[in-house]
Amino acid sequence: MTLRIVVVGGGAAGIGAAGTAHQVDPDAKVTVYTDYEDVGYSPCGIPYVHGREIPKFENLFLQGKAFYEELGLDIHYETEVTGLDLENGKITAKGEGDVAYDRLIVGTGFNYADPGIPGTDLEGLYYVKNIRRAMEWDKILDDVKAAVVVEASPLGLEMVTALAHRGIETHLVDPHPWALAEVGDPDIMQPVMDSWTEMGVISHYNTKVEAFLGEGKVRAVKTSEGELPCDLVVICTHKQPNNRLAREAGLDIGSTGGIVVDQRMATSKPNVFAAGDCVELPHGVTKVPIQGLSGSHAYAQGKVAGANAAGGNRNYQPVYVPWGMVAGKWMIGGVSFGETLATALGIPFVMGVAQGISRARYYPDMKMVRVKLLAEPGSLKLIGAQMVGGEGIKERADFLAMAVKTGITLEDLAWMENVYSPPIGALNEPIALAAQKGLASLKKS
Amino acid sequence: MAFFEWVRSNSERYLLEAAQREMAAKYLGGEPAAGRESLQEMFWRRLFVPIYRRIPWGVRRAIITAMPGSHRREWGGRAPPEQQNSSTTDS
Repeated sequence: MTLRIVVVGGGAAGIGAAGTAHQVDPDAKVTVYTDYEDVGYSPCGIPYVHGREIPKFENLFLQGKAFYEELGLDIHYETEVTGLDLENGKITAKGEGDVAYDRLIVGTGFNYADPGIPGTDLEGLYYVKNIRRAMEWDKILDDVKAAVVVEASPLGLEMVTALAHRGIETHLVDPHPWALAEVGDPDIMQPVMDSWTEMGVISHYNTKVEAFLGEGKVRAVKTSEGELPCDLVVICTHKQPNNRLAREAGLDIGSTGGIVVDQRMATSKPNVFAAGDCVELPHGVTKVPIQGLSGSHAYAQGKVAGANAAGGNRNYQPVYVPWGMVAGKWMIGGVSFGETLATALGIPFVMGVAQGISRARYYPDMKMVRVKLLAEPGSLKLIGAQMVGGEGIKERADFLAMAVKTGITLEDLAWMENVYSPPIGALNEPIALAAQKGLASLKKS
Repeated sequence: MAFFEWVRSNSERYLLEAAQREMAAKYLGGEPAAGRESLQEMFWRRLFVPIYRRIPWGVRRAIITAMPGSHRREWGGRAPPEQQNSSTTDS
């Protein structure tokens, strides 16, 4: 009998799940439902088209619709799923009625947190998500003189940088004392904030957005520090799990608001899996559940969910969250958590910070690299890291994620071997320097 | 919002806010100005945060992991950090 697998959601998790389910059981009937006009593109690339680093939106598509048809995936575009009947193994799709499944995969993604203030119904408020809407907004951006970006989240950082590249007068409004303050440490973010100032960005920290003002269309943002006239507002608030369907269907929801899953991405109900921004996962160091990770996390989780839904046996693992991005004129990144989050959680740590260089000091385009390492007192096992620099941040974040995961210590890192070649690496690896500083601080205390 | 979601979102918000004030003082040369507080804000800032910080990490970890969520289901991975002392910053 043909296995019927239904996937709700056509983002990274949904498409990862559908493709892998098809690979594991080529005879399975895999049906994907998406609210949108497209699947198989990179929404994470949208800010870079707006910033003109990427010439056109079409470059963001990984595959066209024909590819998925030939693959045998049955994708229902612009078809909203309105209900999940888990007791009877059915979903309800708008315009199609009830559709039966043997295995269900929920990949409903995220919504931006509602700012919860007057004026959210005005035109001119941009939520970066759907590529078709982004294409329309991109044309509007040609005539925008002044824009306000609400909140310095990861997307906020990318959009601030993109709008400044585009020559638009850009204001960043954020309630925290520095940019990306829910993730990054202030010393790591300082070069980014300084570079925005050089690019003409006007930043308003410790400032709350109180209302969007206008008649039909936004003309200003009212903040706790005054009004900011603008033609456009980009809302970059926190990503919240889009779990209305899951809640109504009775799936267990965790303290983050994400769907509860195990290492097989199986939910609390039989034959129902979930993946991506709608789920919560344990953090590898603290075991505290977290939610709202990157597209690479969603895609990998989707593949695990898809394989298991099709009869395979794959496990996902707790996450250590390597991250990295370009913001202003710098690259920033890290793994697990930094000093701010560790302090908030009250996790004991020892710390080593050092500033090194990305290439030999005499080689052209050598860049600064600042590394901050956090380790568990006693064992000195690495538990977190943050970095800012001109290059090589992503590679170091990936490496340090494996270092945290495998229990590497400050001692190991302090005397690590490293590549030395003038155009690509300095004699002293900045990670090793930071670890040495951490060890030295212990001897002093 | 369910009870545990309410606890998580508020505790996360106010613990992070307190840590951000410390970090701002350490790295940016000053804490943000404090505004008027509602009763709810007073509870979380003046009662919850100081009490949370006085509880040893091992106890805090036990409370956190006792809350429902994905971490209570089957997962591989390494053990969480052991309690070494009550200090949060040995740096």
